Amino acid sequence: MSGAVGPSTVAPKRAARVVSHAPRSTRRAQTRLGLLLVLPLMVVVVVFFVIPLVNAIYYLFVDFNGINPNPPFIGLQNFVELATDPAVWDAAVNNAIWIVFGTVGPLALGLAFALLVWGVRRGSVFYKLAFFVPFVLPQVAIGVVWGWIYDPTSGWLNKGLELIGLGRVTTGWLGNPDTALYAVLATAIWSVSGFVFVIFLSALRNVDADIMDAARLDGANPWQRLVHIIVPQIMPVFLMVTTITLVGGFSVFDIIFIMTGGGPAGATEVLGTYAYSSAFQLNRISYGTTLALIITVISIPFAIWLNRLQRRLSLQGTGA
Amino acid sequence: MSGGRGTALARKRALLGGKHLLLLVLAAFMLFPLVLTVSTALKTDRDVRLNPFGLFSSFSTENIVTAWTVGSFGDYVLNSFLLSVPSTLLVVVLSTMGGYTFARLPFRGRTFLFYLVLLGLLVPFFAYMIPLYFQLRSMGMLDSLVGTNLVLASTGVSFGTFFMRAFFSDLPNELEEAARIDGATEWQIFSRVMLPLVTSGAGALAVFTFLQNWNNFLVPLLYIPGGEYRPLTTGLYLFLGGRSLDLGPLAAGTLITILPVLVLFVVMQRQVTQGFLSGAVKG
Repeated sequence: MSGAVGPSTVAPKRAARVVSHAPRSTRRAQTRLGLLLVLPLMVVVVVFFVIPLVNAIYYLFVDFNGINPNPPFIGLQNFVELATDPAVWDAAVNNAIWIVFGTVGPLALGLAFALLVWGVRRGSVFYKLAFFVPFVLPQVAIGVVWGWIYDPTSGWLNKGLELIGLGRVTTGWLGNPDTALYAVLATAIWSVSGFVFVIFLSALRNVDADIMDAARLDGANPWQRLVHIIVPQIMPVFLMVTTITLVGGFSVFDIIFIMTGGGPAGATEVLGTYAYSSAFQLNRISYGTTLALIITVISIPFAIWLNRLQRRLSLQGTGA
Repeated sequence: MSGGRGTALARKRALLGGKHLLLLVLAAFMLFPLVLTVSTALKTDRDVRLNPFGLFSSFSTENIVTAWTVGSFGDYVLNSFLLSVPSTLLVVVLSTMGGYTFARLPFRGRTFLFYLVLLGLLVPFFAYMIPLYFQLRSMGMLDSLVGTNLVLASTGVSFGTFFMRAFFSDLPNELEEAARIDGATEWQIFSRVMLPLVTSGAGALAVFTFLQNWNNFLVPLLYIPGGEYRPLTTGLYLFLGGRSLDLGPLAAGTLITILPVLVLFVVMQRQVTQGFLSGAVKG
């Protein structure tokens, strides 16, 4: 209580001002209420997030099989095995494919949808609903329905292909190891595009209409207007969405687990499904945890880097 | 002059018409899986066998009845509510209290606590889900409503606190000072003055969190291994694994799973979108 200048927070100026204005009795009352209000939150965060996270780090260095209460310490053995496990590398390649297409696909589609709906008055609410709805549906439901669409004999995809004379490319999309990963990816892109669309649409509202008009008068064609005027203005949002889809791509699990379970023959196995099956099907708890943590650790630098870039760009925007 | 303006206008109108046509085709593509679900769920059993994916070729509610009773989707619906409603309330209450503290009640060590909460935004559930399983097992909280609700709440409070804090930070200081001069206690300032001003934010958070919890697949998959409290998501997954050839009831089960989501989304579209838009900071 004696160091009344205020805690050394991230925003020391603001915190110090708030503290110094208030008399001591108020400050004490605020501290008391603050601790009281934040206590239940901290209990939940510590018990269900911090403790398991610390345990995860402990699991990295032991060989826990789920039963032994005192698992043997094995040093870096989990990491060594991980680096030399060919299944990990196959899964990492699939993961990389997933991250690239699962980021580029929704960004391209979402931007295209947003540009189309931008400026449309009538029916815009309907379009927004229609494009966004796939994103709010539970992944299990999405997996079920797309399984039917990909059905080898009576699925709509094959029927449609036959209809337009492409009968020879029909296949059992989820059962064929060559197509399974891309079939699940297409489903994921269908589901995520609407989310990207809504974000882009709200960003487009802030695009300066005067500059657009001026460019049009100067004879800039739509493509030039997109590349030179629209994209630079929505760049911070663009990077934010890229971060989200990219980081999500690292830890993708639900939709693959539901649609193919990593099969056929490992064709859709990603790090997430491999971590799950290692831990819960093979009882290699430590190994699975190591994998899961590695996924997180790899993805964090990407998130931070893109976040920095985004912040720099949006600061530039406000400074200009 | 006027002729030129007329053709320009006509061209603009034609362009807009073309745009609408394209948008309608795209919307049809986006909505097609939904249409297919409704159509398959509402067919007669015989029709499902003969022509499973033909659109709206017959009408019957027998699949719905089968899914609800034989497929236990009736139980799953109840369980989904039992898992989504308390966890959502918990997220909203904890996040509102925490958000207020982190916005307006400075005390020593507060920043450290805030960073601890924010860490939850950076670290995905995936990273610690396996140790959490064994922790819950030793706490006797596997297959329990209390345990699963707490876990679901814990996955939502980081974002919720961050979200509510922004609302409380935006409120003017004068309000607080005026109330204090009038002799209000800190608790009264929070509950009588500030709280009523963030109800729209809390509402958006509630809708958003409810959808997340209702749709959550991994948490019940891991922590409700028994069947007693199985919700719709893992129930549908189980049905898919065991009886994927029972297309009619499977479609009906899918429809039952998504119907509450659809209703909530259509009725509260703005809140849902607001939640997801600010949820975007989660990256």
